[in-house]
Amino acid sequence: MTESALTVRGVSKSFGRVQALRGVSLDIGHGEFVSFLGPSGCGKTTLLRIIAGFETPNAGEVLIGGKPITHLPAFRRPVGIVFQNLALFPHLSVASNVGFGLAVRREAAAVAKRKIEDVLALVELQGFGDRRVHQLSGGQRQRVALARALIMQPDVLLLDEPLSALDLKLRRQLQGELKRLQRRTGTTFVFVTHDQEEALAMSDRVAVFRNGQIDQVGAPEAVYRNPATRFVAEFVGETNIIELQRQDGRAVLANLGGITMPAAQEVPMTGLVSLRPENVVLLPADDPSGVAAKVADLEFGGMTLRLLAEIPGCVQPIRAAMPAERAPAGLAVGAPVRLGFDLASAAILPGAA
Amino acid sequence: MAAIISGTGLALSPAARLLLALPKALAIGAFLFSLLGLMIASFTDAGGGASLALYHDLLNSHATRLAIWRTLWVATMVTLICLVTAYPLATFIARSRHRDLMLILVISPWLTSLVIRTFGWVVLLGNRGVINQILMGIGLTSEPIQIIFTPFALVLGLAHVLLPFMVISILSVMMQIDRRLTEAGMSLGAGPVETFFRVTLPLSAPGALSGCALVYLISAGAIVTPLLLGGLRDRVIGTQIFQEIFALYDFPRAAALALILVVTSLIAITPIQIAEAWLRGRISRI
Amino acid sequence: MTGMALRLGLWRTLNVTLLLVLPLPLVIVAIVSFSPDRFLSFPPTGFSLVWYREFLTSPDWMRVFGISAAIAAVAALVSCTFAVLAALALDAAPARLRGICETLILAPLIFPHAALGIALYGMMNGIDLLDGTFLGICVAHVILAGPFAYRPISVALGKLEPAMAEAAMNLGATRQETFLRVTLPLLRPGMVSALLFTFILSFDEVTVTLFLVSPQITTLPIEIFHHVEQSTDPVVAAIATFLVLAAVLLVIILQRTVGLQLFFSAESDEKPGGGAA
Repeated sequence: MTESALTVRGVSKSFGRVQALRGVSLDIGHGEFVSFLGPSGCGKTTLLRIIAGFETPNAGEVLIGGKPITHLPAFRRPVGIVFQNLALFPHLSVASNVGFGLAVRREAAAVAKRKIEDVLALVELQGFGDRRVHQLSGGQRQRVALARALIMQPDVLLLDEPLSALDLKLRRQLQGELKRLQRRTGTTFVFVTHDQEEALAMSDRVAVFRNGQIDQVGAPEAVYRNPATRFVAEFVGETNIIELQRQDGRAVLANLGGITMPAAQEVPMTGLVSLRPENVVLLPADDPSGVAAKVADLEFGGMTLRLLAEIPGCVQPIRAAMPAERAPAGLAVGAPVRLGFDLASAAILPGAA
Repeated sequence: MAAIISGTGLALSPAARLLLALPKALAIGAFLFSLLGLMIASFTDAGGGASLALYHDLLNSHATRLAIWRTLWVATMVTLICLVTAYPLATFIARSRHRDLMLILVISPWLTSLVIRTFGWVVLLGNRGVINQILMGIGLTSEPIQIIFTPFALVLGLAHVLLPFMVISILSVMMQIDRRLTEAGMSLGAGPVETFFRVTLPLSAPGALSGCALVYLISAGAIVTPLLLGGLRDRVIGTQIFQEIFALYDFPRAAALALILVVTSLIAITPIQIAEAWLRGRISRI
Repeated sequence: MTGMALRLGLWRTLNVTLLLVLPLPLVIVAIVSFSPDRFLSFPPTGFSLVWYREFLTSPDWMRVFGISAAIAAVAALVSCTFAVLAALALDAAPARLRGICETLILAPLIFPHAALGIALYGMMNGIDLLDGTFLGICVAHVILAGPFAYRPISVALGKLEPAMAEAAMNLGATRQETFLRVTLPLLRPGMVSALLFTFILSFDEVTVTLFLVSPQITTLPIEIFHHVEQSTDPVVAAIATFLVLAAVLLVIILQRTVGLQLFFSAESDEKPGGGAA
């Protein structure tokens, strides 16, 4: 299979004077789970709606399975969609909701009935066919919306922040279920979210959107460990952005006591470095290689301990994170600490400070 | 302090509530009293005792039966015409980019008295009205065509006058239908027409039914339009009542006719309202 | 695709035609009103404002106009006041009692106007204070307008959140202060809507009022009706056009200030399908 499941090529879209998408291009392979990640207003939902056919792009094209669909009306596209507010039909039962697309296709009643039962079993709602929508819980409605789209066996399934209205526990549970469902059906999933943890947890690849463009596309680990831009570094997870300066012919972390970047790395003389909090370690008090600092803020998050440290003479506070189990005793606000920086794990970012 | 259960923050005692409700209660009381007056007047005979003689008389009179039938027929025709015309129009307006402009066009006539809108048709359809003047002017006919004072003129005029009621009834519900529902329909393969019949129509039906009840009621109880466009020869119950009082000074007869009108209208409307309530109940409040 | 484009074009043309045909009778009345001819002639032989002048300078017409406006103002104020009081009385009342009361309040809606007219006539006939008087017509209009005043106000009241009142009390306001400072201002849009609807309803009312007028006290729509019935006086065309233009102006002002939503939300405030998440 050489053609991708979904190709977006040079798609631009503006609403009045607002440019929502600027020449976005992307290829998604068959059976992939790809997330569109970004803050509100970045264009991810607009792109989703263009793929679904509810908006027309000002430029560019969309192809499914190598075939252009840009000019196809929404109801002829082999694309399924689960809306943010689910949009379940309030005047139909669960079974009729799920079987809506089949009824439109004039599928034989007996065949449709079997398919509906099968897909309800797939989403673990067997026997719910006769219920009405308002009798269901939030999680159950989610699954009905999914079933309704999946029964059509779409080439691509689009999901527009379907879990954002649910509480944390339910969200985690459904994330897992969605992932399993995707593996089982082998459908290509495009998942829009603003929650980067969600995107990292579920996706084969993540596309990070900023201001109508894709800053980076890649596997979750790649995006996390090697962010391509400052925005990606700061949006996906937390990070410390440190300026590089030239000093005596070497690249040095500014304001951090002259720590130099390891020569092994291809380091420009000036630029930015992204260092994740978990790569800032607490060294024993007598370790000379560390930098002296004082704890400014402490946050106990169950599994992880986060701290904000101030280095004397340095304007920028440094974030550090570690498993709470391994945190040294006696840590409190105002306590002195020694910080070590695992620069091998740092990422070099383009652009000036 | 008692728990606040209402949005006003007031905790009213039953006595206070009674006091507040008094003015409205008086108004309703007057209304019911007037209806009682109709019943008393129509259910007594010349001697002052209770009797159905008047109703017997009326319902056996050919003229009255004809008027009742004509009222039902006109009201039903007007309702159907309004329904069939208003639905496409409402759908069109609901989705249009120029929705507000179109709404101004529909709502403005609705705010004027129906005597004014009926007058418009008198000007158009009269024997010396605009249509006849044009027809005679171009020479298509030498004598004015009788358009006014026909059932056609009455039904046309009433339908035109009452169309805004139906459009607004349907639009009230249609504009509240979540746009995502039609998009969901399309994402599942239903084209525009199919989406309308499978999604928009079922969800807007309660509004259409409520519009039907409204239009039917106004048509059945109309007097001014039937007088101006239908004439005195082909009477409906409204014009008949009017005649009984202002030409014949017969209040009991007018009262009896009024109650016949009320009962027949209720019989026509009740199924519509039951259907509307049932439909609203089936649509989930998510 | 062209099949669809064709159907779309047909759909648009049909509806636009209908929209343009709808105001046709009133447009023709307007055209006729500017004609100087004594008899409604079409096409008009010239352009003249003589009939407008006649309407606006005629003491009889102006008196009738004034009476209509006065009755409408009184009916609107009285019915809305009654409605607010009743809505407050029923707010948070036991459900079944409230249901019965609201059915009674809305009862006039299911009665045909011809029957209502004769019923009210019968009630007021013979009572000097009410028979054919300003007061009598006001009473009748208050009864007619009742449901239309009650609905928007009770809907607005129902939308009030207890949290608002709780917040106000938490900040030190007494129940009365809360009512004056928080509840009433929040009810204002609903009350304005109710006042507007009832005023227009009363001003335009003709079927019921037909039974209640007298030689001394009559309303503008009734006078128009009598003139149309008996003669082909072109003044009526001018009056009609004048009122239509006033209505158009009103709607445009409403559209630019508060939006046209107020015409559509009195029905039901429940959303089929749910709003956005």
